[in-house]
Amino acid sequence: MTDIQHPLHKILEDRIAIIDGAMGTTIRTYGMKEPDIRGERFADAKKDLLNNGDLFTLTQPKMIGDIHRRFLEAGADIIETNTFGATSIAQSEFFVEDPREHGGRKDPAFYQKVIDDPFLGNLAWEINEQSARQCREWADRIANATGRQRFVAGAIGPLTVSLSNSPDADDPGFRVVTFDQVRVAYKQQVRALIAGGADLLLVETIFDSLNAKAALVAIREVFDEDGLTAGNKELPIMISAAVGRGGETMISAQTVGAFWNAMEHARPFSIGLNCSLGPDLMYPFLEELSEKANVAISCYPNAGLPNPLSPTGFDLGPSDMARYLSEFARGGLINIAGGCCGNTPEHIAAIAKALEGDPPRRLTTHDEESSLLLSEGSR
Amino acid sequence: MSAPESPAVIENPKPLRLSGSRPFTQQAGVFIMIGERTNVAGSPKFAKFVKAGKYEEAVSIARQQVENGANVIDICMDEGMIDGVEAMTRFLQLLGSEPEVAAVPFMIDSSKWTVIEAGLKCVQGKGIVNSISLKEGEAKFREHAAAVLKYGAAAVVMAFDEQGQAATYEDKIRVCERAYRILVDEVGFPAEDVIFDPNILTVATGMEEHNNYAVDFINATRWIKANLPHAKVSGGVSNISFSFRGNNKVREAMHSAFLYHAIGAGLDMGIVNAGQLEIYEEIEPELKTLVEDVLLNRRPDSTERLVAYGEALKAAGGPAITEKQAEEWRSGTVEERLTHALVRGIDTYIDADTEEARLQLGRPLAVIEGPLMAGMGVVGDLFGAGKMFLPQVVKSARVMKKAVAHLTPFMEAEKAALVAAGHEVKAQGKIVLATVKGDVHDIGKNIVGVVLACNNYEVIDMGVMVPAEKILERARAEKADVIGLSGLITPSLDEMVHVAREMERLEFKVPLLIGGATTSRAHTAIRIAPHYSEPVVHVLDASRAVPVTSSLLSEENKAEFVTQLRLEYAAVRKSHSAPKQPMVSFVEARSRRTPIVWRAEDIAVPSFTGVRVLDNFSLAELREFIDWSPFFHTWEMKGVYPRILQDEKQGAQARQLFSEAQALLDRIVDQNLLTARGVHGFFPANAVGDDVELYEDGSRAAVQERLYFLRQQANREGSEPCRSLADFIAPRETGLEDTIGAFAVTSGIGLKDLVDRFKSDNDDYNAIMAEALADRLAEAFAECLHQHVRREWGYACEEQLNHAELIAEKYRGIRPAPGYPACPDHTEKGTIWRLLDVEANTGMRLTESFAMWPGSSVSGLYFAHPQSRYFSVGKIDRDQVMDYHERKGMSLAEVERWLGPNLNYEPAAAASEATVS
Repeated sequence: MTDIQHPLHKILEDRIAIIDGAMGTTIRTYGMKEPDIRGERFADAKKDLLNNGDLFTLTQPKMIGDIHRRFLEAGADIIETNTFGATSIAQSEFFVEDPREHGGRKDPAFYQKVIDDPFLGNLAWEINEQSARQCREWADRIANATGRQRFVAGAIGPLTVSLSNSPDADDPGFRVVTFDQVRVAYKQQVRALIAGGADLLLVETIFDSLNAKAALVAIREVFDEDGLTAGNKELPIMISAAVGRGGETMISAQTVGAFWNAMEHARPFSIGLNCSLGPDLMYPFLEELSEKANVAISCYPNAGLPNPLSPTGFDLGPSDMARYLSEFARGGLINIAGGCCGNTPEHIAAIAKALEGDPPRRLTTHDEESSLLLSEGSR
Repeated sequence: MSAPESPAVIENPKPLRLSGSRPFTQQAGVFIMIGERTNVAGSPKFAKFVKAGKYEEAVSIARQQVENGANVIDICMDEGMIDGVEAMTRFLQLLGSEPEVAAVPFMIDSSKWTVIEAGLKCVQGKGIVNSISLKEGEAKFREHAAAVLKYGAAAVVMAFDEQGQAATYEDKIRVCERAYRILVDEVGFPAEDVIFDPNILTVATGMEEHNNYAVDFINATRWIKANLPHAKVSGGVSNISFSFRGNNKVREAMHSAFLYHAIGAGLDMGIVNAGQLEIYEEIEPELKTLVEDVLLNRRPDSTERLVAYGEALKAAGGPAITEKQAEEWRSGTVEERLTHALVRGIDTYIDADTEEARLQLGRPLAVIEGPLMAGMGVVGDLFGAGKMFLPQVVKSARVMKKAVAHLTPFMEAEKAALVAAGHEVKAQGKIVLATVKGDVHDIGKNIVGVVLACNNYEVIDMGVMVPAEKILERARAEKADVIGLSGLITPSLDEMVHVAREMERLEFKVPLLIGGATTSRAHTAIRIAPHYSEPVVHVLDASRAVPVTSSLLSEENKAEFVTQLRLEYAAVRKSHSAPKQPMVSFVEARSRRTPIVWRAEDIAVPSFTGVRVLDNFSLAELREFIDWSPFFHTWEMKGVYPRILQDEKQGAQARQLFSEAQALLDRIVDQNLLTARGVHGFFPANAVGDDVELYEDGSRAAVQERLYFLRQQANREGSEPCRSLADFIAPRETGLEDTIGAFAVTSGIGLKDLVDRFKSDNDDYNAIMAEALADRLAEAFAECLHQHVRREWGYACEEQLNHAELIAEKYRGIRPAPGYPACPDHTEKGTIWRLLDVEANTGMRLTESFAMWPGSSVSGLYFAHPQSRYFSVGKIDRDQVMDYHERKGMSLAEVERWLGPNLNYEPAAAASEATVS
């Protein structure tokens, strides 16, 4: 974080900032089919692409722009780029033949080829840069129309591989990919997001804290190598984990207290929880983070649990989400609020409306922090 | 390990915070132990395993260290024959898959930077790098420090610079200060993450210049803590005694004496063998003097004297020092022995020790109020601090009870003498506990009783199904100070309201405690407290019982506690009067029933209709179906089986509890101490509106019974269906011939005898254990029978589910129980009883509150449609309640009473009552 106060910081002093809802589940409501995502450009791709939602940035920019616009109009201060899986590693799932189909396995040698593949690298770069540009354009347009500044968060997703987990039951020490491969893939994504005009970097939906650490190392290296640190132009970093019922990251089983200790060194602008089980079980874990972390707290849960009967595919409606997030706000737990999977622009509008006038969680300054320590010490 | 005194250090140092999968925060005044056995230099055994590629064995050494209490484990692969980068990576990745080990932070220890960096790439938490230093100059030092910061770790900084290792006090502090300024001022390294290692060097080498090494280290430590804010100090302790290799007794004494003085000077952590440390106070006085002479450089001949002592010790063959005798605690004073027995829950010697204390102290009460209460005080403190768990406390209570039982005859005699002399005798406080009328559940209440008894309250446990008048009569007669009510099923809530009203009417003045699974703070505040003028307190769990009771009975604290309580409850009442949940009208709810396309192929046809009885069902078979997680919840241990067995905090206790449960279960099964009996049946059925008609036979001409179901009305956003169980049975107009099943099972036959036997033996622990196991067996019976039923229904013949999948209910069909969320009306159990003739077939009865007797019973209905699912009816509105009352032919007031928790409105009767008080 830079020493100059970021404009978003000013907003957080007065109110809870709103971050947008889900891209993937909102895309579903547009009824897009396989040919729509392929367009001409990917017409010949060998695998199905419909679940590769990041690709819509290139093939259906109008729809993606429409979604950004709707979230901004719903009241989002921060919109996320459509880049959750825009790394060479994640894109390889859609474009590279799975070696397991021929008795092989995915291992560091396989992923080295992925990292070195120019097609995947260029594609990842293009998605990130284009998406950041599209967001930038809409954010600025709506900002000008409403007189309220809007921000673009470059979304950095968790990848489809884990650095903490072995897929091989016979060898718990095996990893399909190395830390350095993940770091390199993330570095490219970070650079492209910055090039496209992102204001913030959001390492999100963290299932595996070691993957997140690789992303944070990548960010730090980009800042240092590209002169952002020297130029005092570091982007604020937001960090957000997906935790299960016991409050642990879903894959690496790290509790939120341990998670904060492991992330603090990156001096993030905010830390928080998103995705996972929906808001109803989040309260105690948000409370713990809020107590321990001296930075802004973000929260954008799923709209409950998946429900195939619901049009968004998730249980909770706009007013439910608004009620839960109001509860967190009343508890003084959050500074940034929004939604993840299953949250449409209507959800975000309901959340923004419900939180209007609610005071944000108090951000402790360094002075206050030391006085807190003082009172703790004198106990 | 305690420190002699705190030195003058920086005020309010920030604690070191680390993490593995769990957070670790340094506690003020608590020394951090870093396990040294996963260091190839410190453990030849570990080195051998790594070199041979036997990583599984190497991992088990890491596990042992964590079990032995290491807060952090040091991992070092620096050895000529080992590829450090590869070994560090592989070992850390393996540890990542060991939940128990991965919980703690790792110290990545290497003199090679490449190995350290490889290690940093494998840890998800915040570990410690050991080490970086100025050895290769400032540029490298800065580069390494920035990299450590980038990966997110704390760092050990060796007192080492371009000139070499700092040995003297002056060199140590000069190098440390220089390093600190670079790290904190230039690199931006958090000061609290800087851990200095000012070099613990070997003393008593025979070289005079080495004699002051320990003193220099201790003084440097003191200086760092006073001058370099928030910095920490660490050291490799075993170096100090290197010259006494082979003489463990001397070495251990040196380590512990050295630590004692260094910790006093501010040493935060050290690399030690967590399993092998002599306690400072227990070092033989002569050896302690000799060792301290050496360490503190107190006399010129100190080395010779210690060497001579060591030689003599060896010549004498020496005692087997490392073998701590298991029964060593028997040599303590009688007070120590009683405390030990209570804390560890050992009852082997309790009678003899209690008698010894009685003879010593003269009066039996002096034994209780003295050593026994002191021992229980230790138990209470440990429990409060989360260092003991409920099962251990209950065991302690068992020992306490045995001690008190030994003393009781003496006290009776004494009391008789006192009363004869005209004195009044009063215990600390007397509590009457009861499970209210109509309810049979009492495990929770028993645990509360035991915990209170441990704290010297006199507990009068009236058992289960106790009517209000009996409770109040007894409380009057006993001059009770507090009354505690317990209940598990929802109708008990009304009974509690009734007791509170009676207490008001009869002008009771004692506080009322409310506990049990369905009770809540909100219910207590809103429904019970307004009816009684004295404090009514909801007690969340057993651990809250003692603080609540002692506050209520304390002259000085009571007023404040009660004021606070009343404020809290007023706030709860206020927030409850907030707008009700949004509802859809009942008419609309009905139009939105679960959308099911009725097809003949989805209708399961059972292999028989009518009723079948299962007597003396095999307990051995049932135990395979047990879901253990709720068993741990009964003991107030939160977690999911089997993961709880590996839990960092409570794993050890959970494992012990589990193995003791298995032992008792073995006995129950082998000796048939309990009998399992059940009945189930299939009935031709069709849905008619929200009711399900059960027909006398396949002709479906005559209705035998009718089941009445409720429909969701609250919070139905969008197109969410408003579900009712009736939706899962084919409507009559479809013409499909559907079936519904019903069951009632118990494993509680014989339970009372078993529990009474344990109780008469003062063994509350096993009494509670038996009840908890019987409950689990009943649930297992329901699960097992459901599997049979699915096969009888013919659709599950192919089903191959493992235990976890069964527990997760990954099968077709449901078995909702009346009184639970999908079917909240308890009175529907009456229909099941008639259908299956449950009482005649099994001996199970329904109480006036529709609780099942004996406890450890389960009953419910079976639905087979593939789309049937569990759900919660939730709040319902007056329009549905009116309809239900008409359909079911039950008076409106009665419907509202049974469905109280589900009403989204204040029923007329309740509203007028509330205004009365």
